[in-house]
Amino acid sequence: MNLPLLSLLIFLPLAGVVVLWLLPARATRPVVALNMLLTLALATTVLFAYDPAGARFQLVERLPWIASLNIHYLVAVDGISVLFLPATALLFLASLVACWNAVQDAPRLHYSLLLLLQSATVGIFCALDTALFFVFWEMSLVPIYFLLARWGVSSGSAQAAARYFLIMLAGGIPLLIAFVMLAASQPVPTFDLTVLLGVPLPRSTQTAIFLLCLLGFGIKVPLVPLHTWLPQFALAAPGSLTALLVGLKLGAFGLIRFAIPLAPEAALDLHWLLAGLGTVAILYGAVGMLAQSNLRVGLAYASICHVGLAVLGLASYTAQAAQGAVSLLLSFSVATGGAFVLLEFLRQRTGSTDINALGGAAKTMPLLATGFLICGLAGVGMPGTSSFPGEFMLIIAALQSHTGAGMAALFGLSIAAGGFLSLYRKAFFGPVTRPAVAEASDLRPREWIVLVALILMIVGIGVYPGPWIEIVRPAAEAWAAGLGR
Amino acid sequence: MSSGLSEIFWYNQAGLPLLLLLQLLPLCGAAVVYVFNERRTAVTLGKIFALGELLLGIVVVSHINPLSPALQLAERYTPLAYHVAVDGLSMLFVLLTALLTFLMTLYGMSRGMISPGRLFAVLLLAETGLVGMLVTVNVAWFAAFSGLELWSVVYLLRRWASSRAEIHALARFVQYQAFGWVLFVAGCIVLGWGHAEATGGYWSFDLFDLVGAVPVGKFQTAAFYLLFYGLAVRTPLFPLHGWLPNMAQHGLIAVAPALMVGVKVGIYGMMRFVLPLTPAAVQYWQPYVVGFAMAGVFFTAALAFQQSNLRRLLAFAVVSHTSLLVIGLFSLHESGIQGAMLLAANFGLAVTGMWFIVGFVFRRTGTTELHELSGLFERIPFLAIAFLSFGLAIVGMPGTPGFDAAHLILEASIDTFGALSTVATALGNVAAAGFLLWAFQKAFLSQARVGGHDVDRTQIMEYLVCGIALAAMLAIGFFTEPWLYLTETASQAAAARFVR
Repeated sequence: MNLPLLSLLIFLPLAGVVVLWLLPARATRPVVALNMLLTLALATTVLFAYDPAGARFQLVERLPWIASLNIHYLVAVDGISVLFLPATALLFLASLVACWNAVQDAPRLHYSLLLLLQSATVGIFCALDTALFFVFWEMSLVPIYFLLARWGVSSGSAQAAARYFLIMLAGGIPLLIAFVMLAASQPVPTFDLTVLLGVPLPRSTQTAIFLLCLLGFGIKVPLVPLHTWLPQFALAAPGSLTALLVGLKLGAFGLIRFAIPLAPEAALDLHWLLAGLGTVAILYGAVGMLAQSNLRVGLAYASICHVGLAVLGLASYTAQAAQGAVSLLLSFSVATGGAFVLLEFLRQRTGSTDINALGGAAKTMPLLATGFLICGLAGVGMPGTSSFPGEFMLIIAALQSHTGAGMAALFGLSIAAGGFLSLYRKAFFGPVTRPAVAEASDLRPREWIVLVALILMIVGIGVYPGPWIEIVRPAAEAWAAGLGR
Repeated sequence: MSSGLSEIFWYNQAGLPLLLLLQLLPLCGAAVVYVFNERRTAVTLGKIFALGELLLGIVVVSHINPLSPALQLAERYTPLAYHVAVDGLSMLFVLLTALLTFLMTLYGMSRGMISPGRLFAVLLLAETGLVGMLVTVNVAWFAAFSGLELWSVVYLLRRWASSRAEIHALARFVQYQAFGWVLFVAGCIVLGWGHAEATGGYWSFDLFDLVGAVPVGKFQTAAFYLLFYGLAVRTPLFPLHGWLPNMAQHGLIAVAPALMVGVKVGIYGMMRFVLPLTPAAVQYWQPYVVGFAMAGVFFTAALAFQQSNLRRLLAFAVVSHTSLLVIGLFSLHESGIQGAMLLAANFGLAVTGMWFIVGFVFRRTGTTELHELSGLFERIPFLAIAFLSFGLAIVGMPGTPGFDAAHLILEASIDTFGALSTVATALGNVAAAGFLLWAFQKAFLSQARVGGHDVDRTQIMEYLVCGIALAAMLAIGFFTEPWLYLTETASQAAAARFVR
């Protein structure tokens, strides 16, 4: 098959935007839904077209873009990125369902931005040219800014949007500088990742590049102390948007894809930094979660905690850790994303996700409560859920390479699990005291269809993780081999 | 390589003296429109001439060879010391001038300004001045064209002034510009005199002559300072920017600022004349110039945050980003010069687009005070999105021409000044993003107040003006290659004089 599958995948949402504005306004939602379903189908096709035993990078498309700067339109997938594509498509679909009736105001613009964001996100996962990657990376900011500033759910949303935008823009600077330094360090300046990976750099350059990338991606991950935008964002944004932002671990993906392989020796030297940041994030996220009364902010802290685990595990630089990190991140896409989508359902019904305004929600909304519990348990790495294999591999890797940090991580994860259950109990159990909760209705069909799809994935992958992990394994081994491990 | 200038004459490249046509067309246009005065035909003709100039500019670009480091399509007429020639960099600016003038003619119509016929005549005259400055390689002619353009802008400001504040702004404008112009002319005289000294009494202001006999020692420093500050007032470069905020706030909303800062002839003049004619002084004073520019980026960004008027805010945005251009230019590095020139064109297009939108908003609300504007997004979403897109172009967002240009400047800056100052400079961009977003939120996104202004929907002409500017910007942003190709060799030639 010679179709440019990845380009189709990147540009399909953009084509959707054009169609959206050509058709009358009432066709908006069906068009978007159809577009997202097609994207999901296409992403699944990519997954089947990818051969885990084959070459490192597959479905490569290379076109000259800015020839005098040697920038290419270069996209490809490997075992690390290929699974993120269907996860992205699925999450966008879930997000669409979550805001199906909530967007009354300028819906065409809203959905155009959503599609634009999808295109940029897919681009981030596929780009192998660092300049192209950066273009997609920055392009994702504009739709997020607009979606939050214009359709936020709290009075401070415009402020939160501007803050997010500026922080991310500032985070882009170290990345851009790192990429320019990388390009300039070659005999023939190039932004091509496959070339850059093959040429070892002097130690000092590597250190600079690693630190710049760590800073740039760390803001997006977010690593403590660069996380300050996230709680405010989670409070101001509708769950449908937070699901995308927190569910898709772009920052951690950037660390795996760019920061570590491009500066392998520096990464090995600075393993303590990466492990330390990971451990701090785990503990900080877990403790921070205990202090929250709003479920959305609580989940945001939980996500800080879990990405911390991925970062800590990565610091062991083994194939097993990379495999674990990728599968954990994927599982979080589904689980955390699903949880935020469910919180959006809850917010639309009761007007709040603060535990003080809830209580006894499980009585009137049993399906929602069950779904949230399953997603939340997957979020804390319960055995039998999709997170468990990845989490297990990461903890083993961490315990072997950084024993103390691994122990601390175990401790932090138990606090996080406790924190989640405590929040859950207060919000969903106990007597119903609020009229909004008493009058709320349970999930509608289109809502539980999404929920069932998510839960099937969580439980299915949890019980039978083999095939998924196998897709990642060769790429993870190649990744570790590139580091000399 | 101290001299190394070469030229290719027009008859080797084209059948017609294209550069002469390029200057005469808007001049004829001005005359014709002036004769037709206030008849409807004048307006149509004005638009046709502006469009014709744009098309002619495209024809000229197709005739030059961007791979040759020589100045091309040269024309000389010795008795008048008339000498013109272009390279890729000048053509970039010529195209921008023509595009902006064309957009201004469309804009002037949609704003419903009084006596549009006269307006178009002056506009075309200003275009003549700008194009003349861009194609000439004679400093005296540059100064003369600069005078012509300034006179047109002064006439514009005066003819369409309607309040005391406007007259006050005009007075300030004239003081600053006259001062800057006199400095520049003085610099020219120092250069000409130096040439006369060196060649035994033969005065010349021609770049090709001067470059072979650059003044030495103190004279070169003097020439550098006079020319640099003369152009810095025009640019405007911090701390000589005092005329711009007042003019922006009280003058004609879009046309006058667009003529003054849409096309960055100040930056162009530095590249074309200051760098080759005073190379040693440029290298000696480089750290000071760059230091001032870095301070300027942040100082004016901080001032921009203080503004309560959208027009003043944009004026400070211009000063802030102009400092960035000077940093790029004075890296004396080929990528830095190329980046600065591309970024200058990008800024010009973007900021003019923003000024147009401010004009459209003003027509609806009668004010540009930020605290009186609210909820415009609901009524004019297209203009709101266009405003934000232009703002993002200024910040150098990927997909706009600003990205590749900023990229080049960063590369040069890392090479020349090291990573730390580069990061600092780049943070200036984030500051700019900050105040532009802040203004955007205040004016467009905030909740519409009860009893606020009744705002009309977007009109077709407004769609057209912003749509063309936006389309041009995105097209250049995603297909930068032709523009890089156009400017690369010329930038290398400009940087080749400086040893790194």
